[in-house]
Amino acid sequence: MNEFEWLRQTRALREPVSPRRDLWHAIDAALDGAASTTPAPRRSTAQRVQGWLLAASFAGLSLFAGSLAVHLRDRPLATAATSAAPDLKRWRPSDPRLAGAAVEFDAANMELRQAMEQAPHSPALQRLLYRMQKQQSQLRQLEHQAG
Amino acid sequence: MPPAPAAEPTDTDDVRAAADGDRQAFHRLYRLHVDRVYGAVYRLAGFDHARAEDLTQDAFVRAWQKLSGFRHESSFGTWLYRLAVNVALMDIRARGADPVSMMAEDDLPDRGETPFCAAEREELERAIGKLPPRARAVLVLHDIEGWRHEEIGVELGMAVGSSKAQLHRARGLLRKVLGESA
Repeated sequence: MNEFEWLRQTRALREPVSPRRDLWHAIDAALDGAASTTPAPRRSTAQRVQGWLLAASFAGLSLFAGSLAVHLRDRPLATAATSAAPDLKRWRPSDPRLAGAAVEFDAANMELRQAMEQAPHSPALQRLLYRMQKQQSQLRQLEHQAG
Repeated sequence: MPPAPAAEPTDTDDVRAAADGDRQAFHRLYRLHVDRVYGAVYRLAGFDHARAEDLTQDAFVRAWQKLSGFRHESSFGTWLYRLAVNVALMDIRARGADPVSMMAEDDLPDRGETPFCAAEREELERAIGKLPPRARAVLVLHDIEGWRHEEIGVELGMAVGSSKAQLHRARGLLRKVLGESA
């Protein structure tokens, strides 16, 4: 037997062979475990640049939205501050028990306006002004009920 | 490169889908290629079904993990076949020593003696299965799978001359096994 005949004999063994059982279930189960180690699909340079641009756009948009939200949150209170100040000044109750409170309100209002000139968008001052308005409103309501 | 199969079914879409994580597409690829992969691994594993099943599973899991790196420079079937052979060879390497180099010269036929003999298919498979793993790998890759010595040398980390020498020794041992069983 020469080499040619030998190779013809051995090459005949080179053919597909079916496994005795379906291996897919075992492979499928193994893939679940391998999923965590599966490398992410390699991305092209264009895809990476696109990703960075998208992230930068999102960050910019978030910053803008945040600024806008702060601005919109502060605006009604700032408006209230400017509109409430005259009300606080104008209140002159006839009841002497409330007159003292009105003076205190005037003094507090003055100090608050000076502070807000330094920090016009300070949330703490805005909250303080809101509470003052509320208290003044309650006192006016009491004055009205007392006649 | 080993000879490509006569015709490979088109699997490009499934390969791309599987690379994007589509498990169903990978299942279709499995069904399409498992017999070819299993056949090669089965022969390298010495016609041992249990071992071949383990190695085939390992090969498909590795294929899934490496699929994103597949560049479509060859057919998927060829890429998968090559990967599976690598898995089987790694298993052989992991088993340690090179039994071929440890064979005694007395056990081998003389250089001039023709180390070929006719045998029935099953008898031939049984004899190949009895070869030491590394000797079997060289013989299977060259004489059955049709690899060139250059390719075998690269895969097994040896010079071309060493691959030729190992093949000669493997054939000699095979002839001896076949002669004893005759």
